[in-house]
Amino acid sequence: MDALTIRNASAMPAPTWGWLRMNDTKIEIPVELAREGSVTVEAGEDLTENHASFEGALTELQERLDAARGDAEDTRACVRAAMRETESLDDLDTPALSTYQRRATLEEIAGDVAAAFETGVHIDVRSYLNFLAGNTVVLATEQGEDAAATVRVSGVSGSAAGASVDVVAAPDSSIDLTISLDGNAAGSDVAGLIGSELRVFAGARSHVDVTVYMTADAAFTAIDDAGYVLDEGARVNVRHIVLGGGRTYTGLASDLRGDTARMDIDTRYLASGAEQRDFNYIIRHRGRKTISNMDANGVLTGTSKKVLRGTIDLVHGCKGSEGSERETVLLANQGVDNKTVPTILCDEDDVAGNHGATIGHVRPEQLFYLGCRGLSQEAAEALFVSAKLEDAALSAPDKDIRANVVRLGSALVDDFADFEEEIA
Amino acid sequence: MSTEALLSVSNLTASVDEKTILHGVDLSVRAGETHVLMGPNGAGKSTMGHVIMGDPVYTVNEGTIAFDGADITELSCDKRSRAGLFLSFQAPVEIPGVPLSSFLRASIAGRPGLEMRGKEFRRRVKELAAQLDMDTAYLNRELGVGFSGGEKKKVEMLQLLLLQPKLAILDETDSGLDVDALSVVSRGMDAYRASCDGSLIIITHNTRILEHLSVDRVHVMVGGRIVREDDASLIPWIDEHGFESFEREAADAAEAR
Repeated sequence: MDALTIRNASAMPAPTWGWLRMNDTKIEIPVELAREGSVTVEAGEDLTENHASFEGALTELQERLDAARGDAEDTRACVRAAMRETESLDDLDTPALSTYQRRATLEEIAGDVAAAFETGVHIDVRSYLNFLAGNTVVLATEQGEDAAATVRVSGVSGSAAGASVDVVAAPDSSIDLTISLDGNAAGSDVAGLIGSELRVFAGARSHVDVTVYMTADAAFTAIDDAGYVLDEGARVNVRHIVLGGGRTYTGLASDLRGDTARMDIDTRYLASGAEQRDFNYIIRHRGRKTISNMDANGVLTGTSKKVLRGTIDLVHGCKGSEGSERETVLLANQGVDNKTVPTILCDEDDVAGNHGATIGHVRPEQLFYLGCRGLSQEAAEALFVSAKLEDAALSAPDKDIRANVVRLGSALVDDFADFEEEIA
Repeated sequence: MSTEALLSVSNLTASVDEKTILHGVDLSVRAGETHVLMGPNGAGKSTMGHVIMGDPVYTVNEGTIAFDGADITELSCDKRSRAGLFLSFQAPVEIPGVPLSSFLRASIAGRPGLEMRGKEFRRRVKELAAQLDMDTAYLNRELGVGFSGGEKKKVEMLQLLLLQPKLAILDETDSGLDVDALSVVSRGMDAYRASCDGSLIIITHNTRILEHLSVDRVHVMVGGRIVREDDASLIPWIDEHGFESFEREAADAAEAR
């Protein structure tokens, strides 16, 4: 049987030069995987027995948005261009649009939240992970409630396991969700797959924290696919800690639909050996005075490869919004391949978009400082790898996830057991 | 006290970007001694500390540095550290992504007599942090990131006490500190001296930090040259008169050259 291949996954919304090979990726699902492995959801009954649904939340938001929408005619040239069926030489005031511009304009004037909903990896991945999961767990808070939940996906070699989770945070509520994507190959090199599919609706003034730990062994393909919709004043903090997995795909798309919504993403990653990391972040600012921050910090060693696409889309109408993205990558070995693609799309004035990337080896003044404490260049680079693991272990949400990090660390770093003993 | 010099700098000339900063400097420190290197801004004091430690930014054009019986002029800074030299930074660098505890553990790894197992290491570091009035929460934070000036200096002191070097060069460890932080640094220096009878070279503008220390020798540097050496009695004199007379003499000497 041929491997299932998902093409055009984790695609940038507005592609750049094809020859750079950064626009998207191809996900190969290993062949003949059994549909097993364990998925557990730890959540109070209050959360799982609420009758709210993700679709219902979007419908309710849509009704409010439609009611607030004025009926003034939009006479902008781009709207005329997107709406016309054929181009005419008599109408030189209407510009030609690229495929992307036309799609974006039509989506903007439709104002359809459900139709615009997207996740960061691919709709086919959504279908595949939903199939693996069998059913979707809905975690819904009541207004004003504070709740927490943990989802654990534990893969084993030769199998595929996935979770499908919807989060619906009611107005003024808060929810803290932890997702652990772990695959323990137990010394085997037989392939396995783990993944999670997450849809989040953050209601007005709600506070949603999501932490995803990816700690799979190198034989695993791991996929973390998520889509967010934020209502007015919602605050979402996402932490992606990607430490292990032969091929990992992390994709997040966020629709900052309500005014003053805010999204902060903190990504920490490590890739060693011949591992590959792929990240795709798409933040669409649609509401006014919305804010987003993407902050990624990673270490690449061995002959690992990484692509990080970060797109901030300042959609027409998002006046007063600010988006920023930063990445710091430490290349701890000459053999690594790093690609960073920060993109800012802008169709609004009175907005700010910032991006920056620092890519390099350990800086000379840092090397001297570390040298003054007895660390050679090799030891300094090894420190950055072990520090990434130790930092992840120290800030792990619970002891099971910490144990997964320590298992991974012990396979990668000599004497990591000392650290385990230290924090035990 | 040994009669043999622990550190012996002879005729050291060093430059950066083809500009000579140190001109034929001699300095000798015996085991257990405390020396003070003073001088106006831009005299080359920090450069001296960095060159002794092997900062690759500087080129040694002439002269030698011997430490603990071996010529270390050509050694890399990590090897000098492992030989027992220590430099406390005036402005310690930040290293995002590396928790302080990970850094400390890496700094003692492979050092005979200092290697500790996990829990013992954590206990020792917590003990030292308590001694320096330092919140142990800093141990899990990224090295230097978001630390105040005072906290950064405490981290330097913590490393001094953990590594117990044979000779520590403290480069303006007292600069920019309030009275409380200054007393913590003084305590750190006392604890270091008491714990391993280590030698010190204190680079400072400020004589206040020296009040509780028994200083063996004072060196005054102006224009990259040691222009005066004396015992501790020079400190109150400098306190009163400053460096103007030394600078004047150095300018006259430069004119004569």
